[in-house]
Amino acid sequence: MSEFKTASDPLSGSQQKDGLSFEGISHTYVAANGSTPVLRDVTFAIAPGQVACVVGPSGCGKSTLLSLAAGLMRPTSGVTRWKGKPVEPGTNPDLGMAFQQPGLFPWMTVRQNVAIGLTTRGASRSDARRRADDMLATVGLTGFGDAYPNQLSGGMAQRVGIARALALRPKLLLMDEPFASVDAFTRLKLQAEFKALLKLDRPTVLFVTHDVSEAILLGDVIVVMSARPAAVDRIIPIEREDRDRAGPGYARKMTEALKALGVETDLSHD
Amino acid sequence: MTGRLGLSRIALGLLGVAIVVALWQGTIAYYGLASIVLPTPLSVAATLLKLFGSAAFWRDVAVSLKEFVLGYVIGGVLGILVGVLVGERPAVRMTIGPVIEALRFIVPFAWIPLTVLWFGTSLTGKIVLVAYAVFFVMVVTTHRAMTTVDPVLTRVAIMLGMRESEIALKVHLRAAAPGIASGAKAAAAIGWIAVVAAEYIGASAGLGVMITNASMSLATATVIGGMIVIGIIGGMVSWLVGLAAAAWLNH
Repeated sequence: MSEFKTASDPLSGSQQKDGLSFEGISHTYVAANGSTPVLRDVTFAIAPGQVACVVGPSGCGKSTLLSLAAGLMRPTSGVTRWKGKPVEPGTNPDLGMAFQQPGLFPWMTVRQNVAIGLTTRGASRSDARRRADDMLATVGLTGFGDAYPNQLSGGMAQRVGIARALALRPKLLLMDEPFASVDAFTRLKLQAEFKALLKLDRPTVLFVTHDVSEAILLGDVIVVMSARPAAVDRIIPIEREDRDRAGPGYARKMTEALKALGVETDLSHD
Repeated sequence: MTGRLGLSRIALGLLGVAIVVALWQGTIAYYGLASIVLPTPLSVAATLLKLFGSAAFWRDVAVSLKEFVLGYVIGGVLGILVGVLVGERPAVRMTIGPVIEALRFIVPFAWIPLTVLWFGTSLTGKIVLVAYAVFFVMVVTTHRAMTTVDPVLTRVAIMLGMRESEIALKVHLRAAAPGIASGAKAAAAIGWIAVVAAEYIGASAGLGVMITNASMSLATATVIGGMIVIGIIGGMVSWLVGLAAAAWLNH
């Protein structure tokens, strides 16, 4: 069944009981017009402080994986564990998540949107406000604290959603293609900022993306998923030197990931 | 620019009123109608002025408004409450959903014979009727507004660590507020109509009673004057509810 690489993976072993682990996860969406299996016996673990980037064909259940880790739903079978305990739908005080859509509360200002999670978790109003302003500065939105979401562009709103997740200083950070809807220039900037922020708090990160270069840049490992119903196809470890876009490691990892995804990369014959 | 537009808006509004008055006056002249059938606009205006100076008139207005306000508040609060429960709790939805669906098509006016039997001509009967009318509008609009809340907001709220009750009140109810506010405006109109209709049939005081009494003594100018007052108050109530809703949404 699950005879793949996790056992020999450098990130697994005793460490994983402090991190995030998926153990034999299968999930099927049941609707009136039939059922759709999306995940099939998914097993892998992310050690504490590690960044795992999940790539896979669209619709392969990457977002479902995040929802399971967040406790927003229960899997059909299998267990998701955080720090060794099964994830229960509801409250995980360690959790921060950025969604595909900004998901901002339209009746709150940008600052209130970033601060609400902090006050919900017990921070004082003034602390929450200060942290919110700090995070807004980090994502390049200084001066927009008093604006309302409907006054922002799509990319700006997305950055507020990211700031809201990061402001919580989560120990478990889940990100669902958070940079997909921002322009290319802002994305590069946000990726760099994000990388710097990760160094600060060292959260355990599950990062879903469809951009392999982003996965190499941000991830300690790349988890390649197969088509639906998705299983883990391959786990590719990324070393520091692989992130040099001009270096041989980058090209090698890129080719390995794309090959696993079934993408033809050799265009030299045309 | 806006000033001129505002001015022409008032002018056009007055033009509309003038057209109605002219048609009214023209009808009387063309058919040679007696004032007992259709009094002239001028005599209705004079009657209105006389009414405004009479304490009995203001007592009737106060009775109608009191019935309306009490019924509106009771029905509105209960309606929003039940609407929230129906929206948040599937068990509640399945239990009382069908009952509400059936009852809301029994218009308030169909209840008037029963309310007269149960409550006589007292204020209570009218208050119950208005509350009934308002209740169903608010249950349905509150429920509908809550089910159309963006599901991502629910996921965000769970992620942020909000409790179930916080999600219901601070996220779902708040996100549904614009829909509930427009429901409240529609409910005000329906509630006011219910008050007057109920007073026509069984009441001892109020604008509806004033009008039916005037009709029996063939004081047609008073009947029409009363109708105009009903229209003006209805418009003002709807306008005030709209203002209150806008103030609440932008607080």
